[in-house]
Amino acid sequence: MELRERLARVAAARAVLREVEGRTWKGSGSNGTGSADGEEDLPLRGMHVKRHQIDDETHASPSEGPGRRRERDARSAPFTTSEERHDLRELGLEIVGLTPPDPLTLAHLGLRGEPPRRWEDVVFLDTETTGLSGGTGTYVFLLGTARIEGGELVLRQHLLQDLGAEREFVGAIHKELEAFRACASYNGKAFDLPILRTRVVLALRGELNVDETHLDLLHPARRLWRDRFGSTTLRQLEASILDEPRGNDDVAGALIPDRYFHWLRLRDQRIIEPVLRHNARDVISLVRIADRVARAVMDARSGRVPDHARAALALARIFERHGEAEPAYRCYESAYVEGDSTIRVRAALPYTRALERRGEIDRAIAMLETLLGLDIGTPSWREQGESRLRRLMRVRWRKQALATAS
Amino acid sequence: MTTERLFDIVNDPMRTDVRSPGRLGLEQILDAYQRDPDFASMVTRWERVPAVAPRLAPFPVWLDERIVRTLRGRGIHALYSHQAQALEAAHARKHTVVVTPTASGKTLCYDLPVLHEIAKDPSARALFIFPTKALAQDQLAELERLSTEMEIELKTYTYDGDTPPQARAAIRSAGHVVITNPDMLHTGILPHHTKWVKLFESLRYVVLDELHMYRGVFGSNVANVLRRLRRICAFYGSHPTFICTSATIANPVELARRHVEEDVVLIDESGAPRGEKVLVFVRPPVVNASLGIRRSALLTGRDIAATLLASGVQTICFTRTRVQTELLLTYLRSRFPQPQWPSDLVRGYRGGYLPSERRAIERGLRDGSVRGVVSTNALELGIDIGALQAAVLVGYPGTVASTLQQMGRAGRRGELAVAFLVATSSPTDQYVIEHPDFVLGRPPEQGLVNPDNLHVLVGHLKCAAFELPFDRAERFGTEDTPGVLSYLDEQGILHEAGGRYHWSDQAFPAEAMSLRTASNDNVVIIDTTAGRTRVIGEVDRFAAPVLVHEQAIYLHESRQFQVERLDWPSGKAYVSEVKVDHYTDAGLSVRIRVLDSFASEGVAKRSGRERFGRAHGEVLVTALATVYKKLTMYTHENVGWGKITLPEQELQTTSYWLSLAADATPGWPRERVEVALAGLGDLLHGLAPLFLMCDPHDLGLAVEVRSPHTERPTVYLFDMTPGGVGFSERLFRATDALLERAREHLAACDCESGCPSCVGPAYAIGHDVKASVAELLA
Ligand SMILES: [Zn+2]
Repeated sequence: MELRERLARVAAARAVLREVEGRTWKGSGSNGTGSADGEEDLPLRGMHVKRHQIDDETHASPSEGPGRRRERDARSAPFTTSEERHDLRELGLEIVGLTPPDPLTLAHLGLRGEPPRRWEDVVFLDTETTGLSGGTGTYVFLLGTARIEGGELVLRQHLLQDLGAEREFVGAIHKELEAFRACASYNGKAFDLPILRTRVVLALRGELNVDETHLDLLHPARRLWRDRFGSTTLRQLEASILDEPRGNDDVAGALIPDRYFHWLRLRDQRIIEPVLRHNARDVISLVRIADRVARAVMDARSGRVPDHARAALALARIFERHGEAEPAYRCYESAYVEGDSTIRVRAALPYTRALERRGEIDRAIAMLETLLGLDIGTPSWREQGESRLRRLMRVRWRKQALATAS
Repeated sequence: MTTERLFDIVNDPMRTDVRSPGRLGLEQILDAYQRDPDFASMVTRWERVPAVAPRLAPFPVWLDERIVRTLRGRGIHALYSHQAQALEAAHARKHTVVVTPTASGKTLCYDLPVLHEIAKDPSARALFIFPTKALAQDQLAELERLSTEMEIELKTYTYDGDTPPQARAAIRSAGHVVITNPDMLHTGILPHHTKWVKLFESLRYVVLDELHMYRGVFGSNVANVLRRLRRICAFYGSHPTFICTSATIANPVELARRHVEEDVVLIDESGAPRGEKVLVFVRPPVVNASLGIRRSALLTGRDIAATLLASGVQTICFTRTRVQTELLLTYLRSRFPQPQWPSDLVRGYRGGYLPSERRAIERGLRDGSVRGVVSTNALELGIDIGALQAAVLVGYPGTVASTLQQMGRAGRRGELAVAFLVATSSPTDQYVIEHPDFVLGRPPEQGLVNPDNLHVLVGHLKCAAFELPFDRAERFGTEDTPGVLSYLDEQGILHEAGGRYHWSDQAFPAEAMSLRTASNDNVVIIDTTAGRTRVIGEVDRFAAPVLVHEQAIYLHESRQFQVERLDWPSGKAYVSEVKVDHYTDAGLSVRIRVLDSFASEGVAKRSGRERFGRAHGEVLVTALATVYKKLTMYTHENVGWGKITLPEQELQTTSYWLSLAADATPGWPRERVEVALAGLGDLLHGLAPLFLMCDPHDLGLAVEVRSPHTERPTVYLFDMTPGGVGFSERLFRATDALLERAREHLAACDCESGCPSCVGPAYAIGHDVKASVAELLA
């Protein structure tokens, strides 16, 4: 039998078995049929939406667009790089790129190691990949970066033109990233960076040194906003924090890999264009979210404590962890005052600790007595509360005794 | 396992003698058995194997002095000859396969070269691959003990599904020896090789323990996983040496070559000593001549084990299934009631027990506190349980290799030991028990793999492409690699660019592929009598539509159960016990279409007549159970019927077929040809596993009175694995031996006109079935 025919039979036999028995071939792997479905309707959908977007852009003069766009396109190049510049204030930024980065704020954002002194040393990044599961067969095909340069936000996108040119592509982005003191991402610790690291090993047999200086905004965002909005996907934060929900023309993340494969075969810009837009939007949102996180921290420090109790509690913990007693105290207080009974229970013990540190033993005791009198919280919390109360009583007694003695 | 004779005798206080046997010594028990006429009538062979003295060899001069010092400290002043040979071969960077009996100190054959290498060069790495997780645990402990004593800085880690995520990073970069299993290599290590750069850059040795386990579908998959492994090693610039160990099989070198794909040195002369041993082959007597039913092997095995245990002989019992393990355990425990006997006199051991439970049992066996254990083949492999005095095998384990390994569990330390093999009434068991030389002589079984089976290969080629792009000229097993690559490119799974094929799919291919067969995906039989829910057995899914369709009468331990409900999607048949005077017989319409014949020729003439033609090739099998009949017991009258509505099953695979030549049935009426063909099919299907190192369920049977392909009456034996693992070609080549065995077996069978142990029950197939088949084969 012809090889081709046999291979087709292998695929067919698996499909049949899977259907008939639903279990015989655990090991069918992914065959062509799965992605073929997506391929058929994908280009059509893509074309409708895109045509009109491309027209928009071709007709738009640089000054009319959201940013000025330059493109360096070489047909035979292993990858293409495009660049657009944005005005910082137009993006609604207040801190990023505008006031010098404050080391403690950066530490709050999760940075370890020595903090960068200038925003120019921070690169914001987001990758698009050929799969979501990681492993050596998942390629990075698009890297979007944003940096501050000459008072502007410079967005750059490197697009891999074909999988065979990966070495040059990875070489270039490796070089670009290494120039920065720190990099910031959204969920990059778990996703973008491991994949980038894999690509660097494979293509260059090298290493990517960004671990210590990595800001993953997912974590502070979670601490600040998860309780308020449920989820903290970038999509969710755009809608709730930036108040700019993404439109229907945005391509869903799950469809991106197939769109790229499809583009590799058809080379129609209309297929890849929405992916580029999606990535650009991600990177810019990343910068704006970082700005909001930094703003929340700065505000709290300068006394403008959020009146949302859960955010206040999250900030309080961050301040406390980094030894900023005063803002920690103010945030605990806000959380305690504005919060419902659940938040109060959660804030109470650290709050008494902050009060004690300030020497306000009486207030701490009064607060604990009131709370414990309400009969709320779990038994183990009540136990902790009672032992804290006894300790505070002893401290007060000792203080009084000392005062009397002297 | 490495702690062999010299360790034991000289320097191992843990291994003090098993508590001295009580009322009767083993010698007296055996003596009593030989004098007992009832027992003697069941025995088909009583073999006394004399003790063998050790053959020793000095330590190689190049061996690191710390290793030598430690071994001497343990009382080992020399190596067994096979250990020394293995050490030299591995040191010379030759791929090696070591084939020696259980407890011959195989582990040192690979531990020592690896220890030596790492002692000389701390950057060196080794990968140990064990077929199961339990084995890996055991090895870890032993290797750590050795390296600690030797004061060699050696970090050994197991990396499997149980490894906590926090520990993984350290293992990847710091582990000198990484112990894993093929499944983890397949999904956890190879697809993430960039995290294992240190391992792959400096990989010197790959140890494949229990190589004979890597056969059939599993072996074909593993051979491809190893291709991927070598591909990745080449990328990082290493070329590891493979050290394999195997149980006794007919073709260890061939099997090792299929896995390593380079020349392999064979070391198969054991220098280890052996104690005196008695092997007893037991055939339970016929209790129902009409149905050809024998006394249960399980009950016979229980009686033997109980006798041994009552006399204080430390005993291990092996059964073929988990259910039988539990049953035998229950039977034995009821023989040793408390408080006269300690509650943990006999323990069960099988997959599904907690690891901590297993470790406790293993320890108990080693220190003698556990006197008896009932196990599935889980204990057959090299888990360290020390030396036992007796082994009772309930049912032929399916292969000579397993039989020898299980029997080898008894008698490691130069004292008298005994092993009993108790046959069930299956054709294979009956053949083996009738021909003990089959086990005692040179093994006839081949470890067969077919890594180039396209069903298997294509899946791994995808995984390989995911791991590293393919060069256009690169070969992956088959000559046809470029063809497969361009096919996958057309399918959009790969994408060609810059002369290389790149993975271009968002799936993670290894995750969707299991290395193991679907054979444990059986239909479970659940007894719901009187509100119980108890698993009493399981049947192969392909056979399930015939055996456990709704309303079927299912026989279990000589009791009747009726199937009340069959939950096909989840593979559960709910039955309850009944007492009826009928049984059921379902028709399975199996259609087989020959897609491609690879080879065909006549079988050598016998008595001047040409009788058979043989061939093998690719086939498409469809099977559909349609109706069942209710037949009365003893008289086999048809008293009713019913429909079966279960989905048709389809299987594309390779098959062997044997057709009757015109001369074979001169002037026979069509009915007689039909009966003879059905009987011949049953007989060959029963005996073929003896050659193939496979389970009867791995082989399908179909007969056609007039095959559209051969245009003759034809018996097909096909591989139950999609694509086949090589059984059909092997049967094609072994046709003469197969027919010879069939002839012998038929002549030796006690039955009058046909029974389940030979051509099938005469009442179901035809009263002249045995005579007709005998004439065909004469
Ligand atoms: Zn018979």
